[in-house]
Amino acid sequence: MRKTNLVPALLAFTTLFPKTVFAIQRFPKPEFESAYTQPQTQIPLPRGEFMAYLDVAVLLIALSVVTWLVLKKRSRLWVFAMSIFSLGYFGFYREGCVCSIGAIQNVSLALFDSTFVLPLSVILFFILPLLFTLFFGRTFCAAVCPFGAIQDLFAFKPQALGSRLNTVLGIIPYLYLGLAVLFAATGTDFIICRYDPFVGIFRFTASFGMFLFTGILLLSGIFIARPYCRFLCPYGVLLNWTSRFSRSHLTITPKECIQCRLCENSCPYDAIDIPVTTKSPESSPVMVKKMMMMVLIVPVLVIAFGYAGSRMQDTLAGVDPRVKLAKEVLSGMRDAGSGMRDAGYKMQDAGYKMQDAGYKMRDAGYKMRDAGYKMRDESFEIKAFKASGKTESQVYSEASAVLKKFYIGGWLFGGFIGLAIALMIGGRMLPVYRADYVTNKGRCFSCARCVDYCPVKS
Amino acid sequence: MKQKIFIISGLVLLIAVVVIMFADLFSSKQADQANPYDYKMGEIRKSDSTRSAYSEQMIISPPLAEMHALACGAGDRIFVAGKDTLLIYDQPGHSAGRFLFNGTASCMTLDKKGNIYIGMQDHVEIFDPSGKLIKKWKTFSDESLITGIAVSDSGVFLADFGKKIVYRCSPDGRLINRIGEKDPQKNIPGFIIPSPYFDLALGKKGELWVANTGRHSLEQFSNDGTLNSAWGEANMAVEGFCGCCNPSHFALLSDGSFVTSEKGIERVKIYSPRGKFECVVAPPTAFIEGTRGLDLAVDSKDRIIVLDPEKKQLRIFVKK
Repeated sequence: MRKTNLVPALLAFTTLFPKTVFAIQRFPKPEFESAYTQPQTQIPLPRGEFMAYLDVAVLLIALSVVTWLVLKKRSRLWVFAMSIFSLGYFGFYREGCVCSIGAIQNVSLALFDSTFVLPLSVILFFILPLLFTLFFGRTFCAAVCPFGAIQDLFAFKPQALGSRLNTVLGIIPYLYLGLAVLFAATGTDFIICRYDPFVGIFRFTASFGMFLFTGILLLSGIFIARPYCRFLCPYGVLLNWTSRFSRSHLTITPKECIQCRLCENSCPYDAIDIPVTTKSPESSPVMVKKMMMMVLIVPVLVIAFGYAGSRMQDTLAGVDPRVKLAKEVLSGMRDAGSGMRDAGYKMQDAGYKMQDAGYKMRDAGYKMRDAGYKMRDESFEIKAFKASGKTESQVYSEASAVLKKFYIGGWLFGGFIGLAIALMIGGRMLPVYRADYVTNKGRCFSCARCVDYCPVKS
Repeated sequence: MKQKIFIISGLVLLIAVVVIMFADLFSSKQADQANPYDYKMGEIRKSDSTRSAYSEQMIISPPLAEMHALACGAGDRIFVAGKDTLLIYDQPGHSAGRFLFNGTASCMTLDKKGNIYIGMQDHVEIFDPSGKLIKKWKTFSDESLITGIAVSDSGVFLADFGKKIVYRCSPDGRLINRIGEKDPQKNIPGFIIPSPYFDLALGKKGELWVANTGRHSLEQFSNDGTLNSAWGEANMAVEGFCGCCNPSHFALLSDGSFVTSEKGIERVKIYSPRGKFECVVAPPTAFIEGTRGLDLAVDSKDRIIVLDPEKKQLRIFVKK
């Protein structure tokens, strides 16, 4: 009884706890000689240190509880209950922030920018799920991550995709991870947060576009269970790698597999590997050939993709606001140059033809109108740049430094993708032998659905 | 077959999500530059026609390059002045006179004898009905800008935007007392006039009303400067006054009701003698956007005369 009361009690506590306790005055108030009472301008303070560590504590407890539920209690029902709690706490109460997925960016930026202060709570949010995964598999994905929890609610008609489709679509998270790290490390953007599909729902602030984006993703989740976790989540890449080394991973059966095949179609995430009982030991020359191919493929793909990445320097850097601004300034200068040239032609014409004053006045009027249009069409960025007092050369030199970073970053990003593809190819080339139905340690979210299908109970 | 349809549907949606994300990330298209904090007046400018109780009866187009000052005299003659020129129109709107002076009129009023008092930026000039200069007062201050004037047996009242004060003077220009100076002990908040529209008018019994535009109110003072009452509400709705400072001008009807004009949201409205909103005389759509300085006058038949400096017209409104 006491145990069953724990979840609602925790939910009630976290929901009722006040979000902001204090507020600070952002700007000094202007002085008006009137009876008007200025409302206090308030901005929420950063989450208090205690509350940040409370979040960490909740994360740690949730991970421990879920791990226990998965590995010891082996209860899908309780895992589901915990996922609802996590959705409530980390999703709707904490509004999806800080999250382990987004923490990738904070860690990346801190590694490349010494001025960026990385709070300990963020480090813990990044490391704790990885540590648990290293020992116990992806119990974080099972019922602690609110993203997984919300998608789980929509998996009504999950379909098996097959290993090829899973492999091909599995490249996307690597691309997303590579780009997220690249853009965070260069100080360009936190794209995981920018394209976070659920935060708008958690905060009830989604714009129509974002609501549509989330809606499409959740709709796809009706047929492809947990689409974000499987084919987008950049943190999932790290968890996938780590989970492969986990020692105490969830097993479908607590004892010996009786080959009843009841669990075969129980996993909505295609994370159960069926037995490959036919041993097909390949001859030594074939194995040597495959190994040699692997030895060749890895560096070739890494270098080829790395080169391609470096050639994408401009495209990648184009996302950076400093480069965008430089491009806009340059384009404005070109327009001005063309304008001056045209003005020169006009003056020359005026000299030749001695047009009368009326025409000149009209032209001046047109020029003023055009200048007005230009002023009107200027972007906020250009207006802000003009107001900042920065020189154009400063803008160009900043953009040039960013471009250099993206040249190196492009190599690393491309190389990373090349390596991921090479390892996937290599993985498919290796001979496989499995006697029983087992969970795929990399892909399995430890949701414990399969456990319910297994007739063997401890 | 059904399974294939499910898979394809799921895949199409998933790929759509990925494509949207990457397309948006690498798109060079400018983000929406609409300013979410833009002060959009469109909705506020819309007017409810059911609240309009006046119609435009007549338009007079004086041949003046500038029009700043408006007054109504005996026989409901309309006086309008701008730079160097004063024009007079009779009740049907025909030209009834014209005289010249030196300077730019900023406000105008008439006394019982028909003498014309013109606020000339920093001083006052008084003309007899034939246009002959009777008196030219001294300048009050280098900073003075006289924007409102009214005359009664108690004296000549001047609203000085530059000094944010009302002067009560004798007809010869001698200062009798100042009205409206901030005095917390007498509960006088002082005038807050952010823009150069500072109007005053006299009621039927000669009581002085002054527009304290920054407080969005009209305040009533005794001749000695005692603040007797005030009304006004800062409100974006039609019932109140909004923006930095309104009403820019006002006048009183024979029953003691107020006619007010505003800038920002250009409109003319009627308030009861107790300051309760009654109806709209002219909605924002009746004016060119950005019109300022809608001076007002009321004749003996309670026709409302509006000086429209943008359209360069005198517009006369009557009750429907």
